[in-house]
Amino acid sequence: MNRPLAEFVDMLRYADVPVSIGEVLDAARTIDLLGYSDRNLLKSALSQVMAKTTDEMVSFDQCFDDFFTIDTDLNLGENLLEQVSDIDESENSDSSDGGEDAQLAALDNLENAPSASGDGGGGGGEGSASSPSEGSGTQPSTLLEMLEQADRTGLTMSMNAAAEAIGLSNIVLSTQRGLFTRRVLDEMGLAEVNQEISDRRREDNEEGAEELSRRLSVLFEATRDMVERQLALTSAGKSNQFRQEVLKKIRLSNIENRDFRIMRDMVRKMARRLTDMNSRVRKVKNRGHLDIRKTMRRNVAYDGLLFETHWKQKEKDRPKVLAVCDVSGSVASVARFLLLFLYSMNEVLPNVRSFAFSGTLGEITDLFERHGPEEAIPEAIEIFGGRSTNYGRAMEDFRDLVFDEIDSRTTVIFLGDGRSNGADPRADILRDIKKRAKRVIWLNPERKSVWGTGDSEMTKIAPNCTVAEVCNSLSKLELVIRDLLKTS
Amino acid sequence: MTLVDKEPTAAIEDIQKRFESAGYICDMHIATCIYLSQKLDKPILVEGPPGVGKTELAKATAELMGADLIRLQCYEGLDESKALYEWKYGKQLLYTQILKEKLGDLLEDAQGLDASMDKLHQFGDHFFSEQFLEARPLLQAIKSEKQTVLLIDEIDKSDHEFEAYLLEILSDYQITVPEIGTIKAKTKPIVFLTSNNSREMGDALKRRCLHLYIPFPDSDRERQIIETRVPEVSENLRNQLVAFVQQLRTQDLKKLPAVSETIDWARTLLLLHADSLDTEIVRNTLNMLLKFEDDIDNMHIEIPKMVAEAKKVTR
Repeated sequence: MNRPLAEFVDMLRYADVPVSIGEVLDAARTIDLLGYSDRNLLKSALSQVMAKTTDEMVSFDQCFDDFFTIDTDLNLGENLLEQVSDIDESENSDSSDGGEDAQLAALDNLENAPSASGDGGGGGGEGSASSPSEGSGTQPSTLLEMLEQADRTGLTMSMNAAAEAIGLSNIVLSTQRGLFTRRVLDEMGLAEVNQEISDRRREDNEEGAEELSRRLSVLFEATRDMVERQLALTSAGKSNQFRQEVLKKIRLSNIENRDFRIMRDMVRKMARRLTDMNSRVRKVKNRGHLDIRKTMRRNVAYDGLLFETHWKQKEKDRPKVLAVCDVSGSVASVARFLLLFLYSMNEVLPNVRSFAFSGTLGEITDLFERHGPEEAIPEAIEIFGGRSTNYGRAMEDFRDLVFDEIDSRTTVIFLGDGRSNGADPRADILRDIKKRAKRVIWLNPERKSVWGTGDSEMTKIAPNCTVAEVCNSLSKLELVIRDLLKTS
Repeated sequence: MTLVDKEPTAAIEDIQKRFESAGYICDMHIATCIYLSQKLDKPILVEGPPGVGKTELAKATAELMGADLIRLQCYEGLDESKALYEWKYGKQLLYTQILKEKLGDLLEDAQGLDASMDKLHQFGDHFFSEQFLEARPLLQAIKSEKQTVLLIDEIDKSDHEFEAYLLEILSDYQITVPEIGTIKAKTKPIVFLTSNNSREMGDALKRRCLHLYIPFPDSDRERQIIETRVPEVSENLRNQLVAFVQQLRTQDLKKLPAVSETIDWARTLLLLHADSLDTEIVRNTLNMLLKFEDDIDNMHIEIPKMVAEAKKVTR
C-alpha cells in the first residue's frame, strides 16, 4: 500500500469513518484502476468504496478535499516557502519570470537566491545586512540571518524543527491557530528579529526595517499556512469526536440550547441501539403457520408421518416500557434532557408510554406523538412542571393509571431526584410495582453521596427498585442502559 | 456483453451514454459505481430517498447487459427457505417410499444384517442431492449459466438474521447448503441491494458492498429525466414543472416528491393538455406530488407564489 493512501485512511479514521482493512485494499485497487489524474472521478469512486453511510459521506468529502488539496502542493513545507521567497525575489529583483518558471528556477538555483535578494534589496538594507551574513557565512543559524539571506532551506528546516519542539501536532481547535503560529515563530527566534526591526527604525534605517518586516510577514504567512495544514490533518475529524466526547461527559444541566440538536442525535442513536439489542427473537410460538420444511425434515425419521410439528411464528421480545419523569423545580435543569431521552425512546421503541409529574402525574405519550421535540418538551414542562414535588401523590396517580398494565415484560423507568418535600414517597406502591414488573429502574441526577439527605427519600426508594443509579451525564446514562441490557 | 473494456474515463462516459440510450439518466457518480462494481466484483448497496430510481438502476443495468433480472423483495419474516433454497419434501418422501419398495428386491440375496447393510451402503444416497433442491432467487442467481442481475430490494425491511444469510453470497458469490456442500457461482451475478434506510445495515454487510447514495436530482438532471421519460411534454412546461418540484423539495414536508412523482405529474399534466402551469391546475393535481393530506393543506396557500416563481425561472 502506498503512503498517501495510508495517511488518508488514518485521517478518515480520525474523522469517524471506520475504514476496514478490506476496504483499504479495495481502495488501493480502485486507485490502481483509476490513477490519481482525475480528482473528481477518484473522489466519487473512493467515497463509494470507503464511506458507507451518508454521515460518513460528508466526513469523507471533507477529508478528501482537505487531504488532496494539500497533496497537490506536496513536498509540503519547502515548496510553500519557495513560493513565498519567490514572491520575495520577484519583487526584489523585478524578475519578469511569473509563477511556475520562477518556482522551478528557484529550485535549481538555491545558492543564487541570497545574492538575488541581496542585489534587489540593496541600497538601504546593505549596511546592517552585511555584518551578520558575513559572520555566519554559509551556515546561517539565527532566524534574523536566515531572513536576511532568504535562506529557504534553512527557514523550512527551522520551521519544522520549531513545530516539532512546540508539539504542533497537538493542535485541536481552530481557535488555537493564532497561538500555535506565534509559538512556532517564537521558537524560531522572533524576538531577535523584532528587536532588529525596532533597532533599525531607531537608527532611521526605515527602508531596512521595512524590508525586514516585510520578509517577516512573508514568513508569518508561511507559518500560518503550516499550522492551518496541520489543523486540517489532525483536527477536522477529531474536533467532532472531541465535541461529542465533551458533550457526553458534560453535566446534563449545563447543556446549552445550541448543543440540543447534537444531543438529540446522540440520544436517538443510543435509544436505537437499545431497541436493536432488545428485539431479538426469543422463542418459537406454538401456533400460526406450520413450518412445513422443518416439520417434514424432523419427521422423515418417523416414516414421513407428521408426528412432531414445528411452527413458523416466532415471538419477538418487544419490551414494554413505562417511563415516568419528574419535571419539578428541583430537577428543572435536567428535566429537558430527561424528557428528550423519553422522546427519543418513544420514537424508536414501539411500546413506550411516558408520564410526567411534579404535583400530579399525567400521560404525555400523546403529546410526544403529535409534536416534534422542540414543541413537545417545553409543553410537557409547562403542563406538568412548576408545582412542588409530591412523589406519594405521583405514585398513587401512576398506580391508578397503569397498574393493571404492568406485567412480567414491562420495564418501569423513573427519572427523578426522589426529593418529595417531606411527603410520604409511598414506597409501598413502588414495591408492588416491582413485584409485577420485569424490572424497575430509578435514575437520579444527584450524586449518590447526597441521597437521603434533606428531603431526599432515596433511602426508602432504592431498596424497592431493581436498579437505582446516578445518571447525570450522557455517558453515565449509556452505561446504565448497557448494563441493564446485559443482565436482561 | 461487457461495459468496461476501455480506459476508466472512457468506460465511465460510455456507461453514462448507454444508460441514457436505455432511458436511464445517470450522473458520473452512478456510472463510476457501475464501473467499479464490474472491476472489483463487488455488490452495490444503493441508498436514497424513495422514488429516485434505485430499483430502476438495477433494471436498466439488466437491460443493458442483456442479463436476466432476478428480484428478491425483502420483508419482515423473509427467511432462507424463501430466499435461498428449499428441499422438495414431497419428492423426498416419494423417494423414500420407492426406496422401501425396491429395498426388498435389492437385498434379497444378502445373508444376515451386516451383509444387508453393506449392500445398502453401495447405493448412492440421493435423499439430499441437487435433484431435490428447489432453487429460490438467490440460488437461482448463483446457479444460472447466463449473466444475471440480482436485485435484493429494500433490504432494510428484512430481519437482522437475513443479512447474515447474504454475507456469503455477497463476498464470495457462493451458497453453502449443509447437506450438499458449497455451490459456487458459474457466472458471477451483478448484485444490487437497495435500502430506504429505515434501519441501519450491519457493518459486515456494508463492508462487502460499494455504497452508492442517490440524492434527489438537480434541476438540470431532472429536466433531462423528464425529457427522456415523457418526451411529449413541451419544453416550456417541462422547465416549469421541474422548477416547481424543485421548490417543493425545499419546503418542510412529511414526504418530499421524488423523481417518480415528477414523472407521474408530467404525465398527468400531459393528459390534461396543459402547456403551462397555473394555480388552478396545480391545486387540482397536487395529490400526484404530495402523498399526505397535511402536506397538501400546508402547501395550499403557497401555491400561487410558487407557480409564479416557477414561471419566472423559465422565462
